[in-house]
Amino acid sequence: MSSLTFDPTYAPHSGRHRRPSVISRPGAVPRPVLADVAVVLAGLGFGACIALAVTAESWKQFSAPGGVAMFLGNLTGLAGTYLALVMVLLVSRIPVVERVLGQDKLLASHRRLAPWPISLIVAHAVLLTFAYAEAARTGVFGQIGAFIRSYPDMLTATIALVVMVAVAITSVYSIRRRFPREMWWAVHLFMYLALALAFAHEIALGPSFVGHPLTRFVWSLLWASSAGLVLVYRFGLPLFRTFRHRLEVVEVHPEGPGTVSVICRGRNLDRLAVAGGQFFEWRFLTKGMWWQAHPFSLSARPRPPFLRITVKGIGDYSSAVARLRPGTRVAIEGPYGAFTAHARRRSKVALIAGGIGVTAIRSLLEDLPRDCDPVVILRASSAEELALASEVAELVRHRKGRVHELVGSRSEVRVDRLSELVPDLANRDVYVSGPEGFVDRVVSTALRLGVPKDSLHFEVYSL
Amino acid sequence: MRRAPAVVIAGAAGFAGIVAMHGAGSPSMLSGSGSSAPVSSPPTTTGPSTTPTVVPTGTPRTAVGTSENYGYGVLGVKVTVRGSRITDVSVATIRTAEQYSQQLAQQVIPLLRNEVLSAQSARINGISGATYTSEAYAYSVQAALDTLGVK
Amino acid sequence: MISHAEEVMGTVVSFHVEPGECPVGDARAAVAAACARLHELDDIFSTWKPASPMSLFRVGRVRLEDAPAEIALVLRLCEEAKALSQGWFDPWAMPGGFDPTGLVKGWATEQALAILRLAGVEAAIVNGGGDVAVLGLPKDAHGWRIGIRHPWRPEALACVLETDRAVATSGCYERGPHLIDPRNGRMLFRTASATVVGSGLPLCDALATALVVADDDGPELARSLPGYEAYIIRADGTESATEGIVFATEVVS
Repeated sequence: MSSLTFDPTYAPHSGRHRRPSVISRPGAVPRPVLADVAVVLAGLGFGACIALAVTAESWKQFSAPGGVAMFLGNLTGLAGTYLALVMVLLVSRIPVVERVLGQDKLLASHRRLAPWPISLIVAHAVLLTFAYAEAARTGVFGQIGAFIRSYPDMLTATIALVVMVAVAITSVYSIRRRFPREMWWAVHLFMYLALALAFAHEIALGPSFVGHPLTRFVWSLLWASSAGLVLVYRFGLPLFRTFRHRLEVVEVHPEGPGTVSVICRGRNLDRLAVAGGQFFEWRFLTKGMWWQAHPFSLSARPRPPFLRITVKGIGDYSSAVARLRPGTRVAIEGPYGAFTAHARRRSKVALIAGGIGVTAIRSLLEDLPRDCDPVVILRASSAEELALASEVAELVRHRKGRVHELVGSRSEVRVDRLSELVPDLANRDVYVSGPEGFVDRVVSTALRLGVPKDSLHFEVYSL
Repeated sequence: MRRAPAVVIAGAAGFAGIVAMHGAGSPSMLSGSGSSAPVSSPPTTTGPSTTPTVVPTGTPRTAVGTSENYGYGVLGVKVTVRGSRITDVSVATIRTAEQYSQQLAQQVIPLLRNEVLSAQSARINGISGATYTSEAYAYSVQAALDTLGVK
Repeated sequence: MISHAEEVMGTVVSFHVEPGECPVGDARAAVAAACARLHELDDIFSTWKPASPMSLFRVGRVRLEDAPAEIALVLRLCEEAKALSQGWFDPWAMPGGFDPTGLVKGWATEQALAILRLAGVEAAIVNGGGDVAVLGLPKDAHGWRIGIRHPWRPEALACVLETDRAVATSGCYERGPHLIDPRNGRMLFRTASATVVGSGLPLCDALATALVVADDDGPELARSLPGYEAYIIRADGTESATEGIVFATEVVS
């Protein structure tokens, strides 16, 4: 059951085991203060936007026909567009931010924030249509026509609005789940187009921008920078890494029933800085799989020139992974994830894995020092499903910790046993990894048992 | 979210910063610009209490009222006064940067005489307007005057 | 005060008469006679009635010499108005041929007022569908208070003028001013309403129409008319008035 190429056993400073000839690079150290600065800057910018709207006109505008609607229309336009910018930056995978907050949390924030810019921008369009119609003493439909015909860049802005609304509608969960993820994803990408199309009318028509070259410059700079960040970090860097490392599958071997490890070989892997517990988006360039990218954690630190992931075969895609042929090229995006040893605040740790969540725990263990006294809990439905258990056991033994294997159906095994198994849980950094339901239960239990939020780290695996 | 207070404070700081920078320049909503009296109130309420048949004396004076920040630039209103009566109110300047703004300016310039007079309060003897049809007459103010008879 | 409203000429002509020394019965009779005269004139001038002398004259079926004398009179007034307005008022340029309707209403209203004057009425105001002719002055006042209809707020007034002469107003109360001249991108201040005050109501009528059509050139035209005062409201809400326009000074709520 062991790999022909990948030697997963590595315990430093131990004479009994072979040291790999090339050491892999540790993950870059996250600096939380930088993420704080980024968030604070975002807040500063938002306040400035509101101020721009408020200072654009004198209060006399309210007595003009359509004056109130005009003011609100300008305000919602500025606020909504700024928040749309924040939305884009949240998912642009800027490393300094992603390392601290984690891709999963950034995505969750992106989804949570989404209704705001969309509603504000729709309100902006509606309000200004009414305001201009009122001021010109014309009907609403006549005004829409006037906008499109005679105002600069309004045709593209209208198209942008339509695209934005379409993207938003398709992202509503009840609609999104009816379509394959890749189709939804392709539609979602059009949001970049919508934002680009809308830019021109902001500069040409916004009262805060017309006649205010400095404001115009700053706004343009903001958008250009954001576009730059997206191009570099969302698209450029992954492409660069893919070409630099040129990964290809060399071996697929089973770890247990329904679980396989995929070993990839690549170049310059000694230059790839990865922290244990991080994941990549994997795109296997073969028929039927090349259009999909899926996140998998490394199930061990890289051993240049080799990388390993371990995948549980649930669903068509994972089953296809098991059938990958050696020589298949791989495109990667990453590494991502804040589920790393850097997040640790205390000296002692507890690592809790459900099912295939063990992969992140397994690679994380390699980064933990000898004195962290690890307590590891592995949960699986059956004994054979405890993948990588022996590797985990070895790593834990080397660190003088202990492993508990909780096997059985969910009704048999209750995670509430946590306090029994780890009485001093509240004094440890707790890492939880596994399917969503599992993680939810463990996290709420841990919080109840007094683990502070800052010491609780979790990674959810979607199946 | 533990960063929430910092974000709120940053937002307030951003807001204050822009307002401070703006306040140094043209008038805005927050600075509450005033405008010269002849512009904001129609002559019907600010005229002299002397009878209107007083023949106006003096040469016409033209004043440009306070510039208003109307979003696309600055609007200057020109008021021509003869004696004590306003004889002309018009837009003196629209300072805008771009051609389109002029077009937009038309949409946002408020009606300068923005008090709405009601016929009842004005105690008029009659109404002059573009011809109304018989049907329109029925709803018109003139009809109200006619039925009231004694004034 | 005798009040009467007469539906005629497609509109309503309102009478408010202060008999003064004139006996009330005489005043009432005068009002009735004025109304009869209005109907007569309607029969002559109505372009809605295909058999009216004016309709026949327009299409050339009747010559000027054979038509009622009133038509020749109105024709002369139209020529005078056209000259006075530097061509901006041109009833010959109407679609469908010569159409003096804009001037006839004012002229007919003035005729009605003349009947009242001949009967000895001291003070009266006759409003022919928006064209106002006045006689004398109201009790304890120095002028008649005439409200000018607000171009785009129905039931409201733009202002109140005080005058002892005739008042006529013309306007395009349409919505949606097209404020850019597509030929050169310049702004057009479309005239929403133009009011003319003067001694002769028909000429006031014609001049008011001319000012609306003249658009940008309106104020300059207004200044060039001796003895006539004008008050113009533009579609963007700005307004201008010649020196002789008197705005009533008090508004009592």
